[in-house]
Amino acid sequence: MNPRASLWLKTVYARTWVRTKSIYGEPLWVAVNVGFPFFTSLALSLLYSSAGLKSGIGFAFLGGVMVSFWGNVLWSMASQFNWDKQQGLFELYITSPAPISAILIGMSLGGILGTAPSAITLAIIGWILFAPPANPLWPLVAVTFALTLASLYAMGMALSSLYLVYGREADSVNEALHEPVSFLSGVYFPASLAFPAALQAIALVIPLAVGMDALQRTLFSLNSSGVADLTLVYRDILLLAIMGVILLFAASKALKILEEKGRRAGTIAVRLR
Amino acid sequence: MSYVRSLIASIRVGWARDFGWTNPILGFSLKTIAPIASTMTALTILYIGFRNGASITPDNFPSQLGFIVIGATLYAHISAYSWVPTLAIAEGKWTFVFPQVYVSTRSTPPYLAGRCLASFASATVTSIASLAVAVVISLLLFGVAIPLVVTPLSIFLFGVALIVNIFASMGLGFLLGAYAIFASKFEWALPTYVSGILMVFSGALFPVTSLPRPFSDIGDVLPFTEFIRASRAVLLYDTVGPYFYYLGLSFLGGLVLLAIGLLAFKYSEKRARRLGVLDRKVV
Repeated sequence: MNPRASLWLKTVYARTWVRTKSIYGEPLWVAVNVGFPFFTSLALSLLYSSAGLKSGIGFAFLGGVMVSFWGNVLWSMASQFNWDKQQGLFELYITSPAPISAILIGMSLGGILGTAPSAITLAIIGWILFAPPANPLWPLVAVTFALTLASLYAMGMALSSLYLVYGREADSVNEALHEPVSFLSGVYFPASLAFPAALQAIALVIPLAVGMDALQRTLFSLNSSGVADLTLVYRDILLLAIMGVILLFAASKALKILEEKGRRAGTIAVRLR
Repeated sequence: MSYVRSLIASIRVGWARDFGWTNPILGFSLKTIAPIASTMTALTILYIGFRNGASITPDNFPSQLGFIVIGATLYAHISAYSWVPTLAIAEGKWTFVFPQVYVSTRSTPPYLAGRCLASFASATVTSIASLAVAVVISLLLFGVAIPLVVTPLSIFLFGVALIVNIFASMGLGFLLGAYAIFASKFEWALPTYVSGILMVFSGALFPVTSLPRPFSDIGDVLPFTEFIRASRAVLLYDTVGPYFYYLGLSFLGGLVLLAIGLLAFKYSEKRARRLGVLDRKVV
């Protein structure tokens, strides 16, 4: 195998392994990570129920599942390089021959594998407690879910380079981004039933919004006939694929530019700014 | 006097920690966005329920929105500052600030109480701002004016309720702090748990009576539930009698919780000293 490709793959494997091990090495983390999405989904399910729309409970638990990944993208992807920099790990990354893009991909794969147990646990709890009515088109659900995660984590990679520049502000920006993006994306409810067309159009630039729309359509068939509108699902799938490619390209470019700039200015390993 | 001076100094530390990295306007704006979005999520679900469900009548809908807008902003307000003692301990261990309190001539309760009060002040501003913005957004998005009672008397009584609730929130803060002294990895997850549990058990989004027993009984006796009820009584239903009743219950429950919290904290602090884990960062 080409030595560069071999190095790239080894780096991906190593970073994935570290991240996965950090979760599976302490199984209690799964229970801890289930907490917030569980209580939020439970509260919103009871709200759906008290509003006379028990069929909406599925949206609340699907939202909880996807919020687990969204939280992971923000806190463990976007912020990670900034934290690594504070702890001196980023310095090791850039002095080693390991490609940064491989480290990011490894982090993403590890993040997905690490978040999956808590997301699956939440879905199972929701199903056991409420058995929400669903009409899933499994092949499309699988494609949509995979593309949503791909574009979300690609966004995390792009944000990680930005957060590398904006040191201390990263945590506050994360806190400010988490809820509004969830709301605009219609994580816990179908945005098409609540938002005016203009707001829905604006939300289409957020991968999470497109992914949620497609997932809600393929899992719960949003229209009254009980059959999902496949044209809109295919539109969402296409948008997610395009977003994923663009964000991956943007992440790779941004990191290269910042790395070069940081090396020239001698600030790439400066811990506080 | 020395306690008051410690308290004031700690309030200043808390304020600097929250806003020292930027100017207060930007800091407040960033802190206000999240509660607005979380309140709007709950309001949107109610709207979808109203449009597609059968249990909310058009006459009832505005007051239902009011019920949720008050509950959602206030549970976020409580969770925003009740976990500050945990943050002060966990973050303080990493930055070596917390062990320094023991080196100084002061003790930890006024330090943690001061940090909590600083956060209470900022959370009050962000909660009121998010309540106001959520009311405006609801009008724009759903075309419904939420019938809040905004008079000098209702604002004053609401302010009193916010202050009375400090006892309960601080008590919860000290209870969590008692755990945080020993914890070295899961303490960062505590705020999300506090927030989630309050969302379910404080009657923020739906009446606690809709929970199955014994969960409804647990929710019913929480001082936070009484605080939210008192706020609704004065801001939504314009009733002063129930307000004082709920506020009294909130005050009594708050005192009990504060006493338990302080006792638990003192006990765990004493034990942590004996075990030598006050500055332990990793397991």
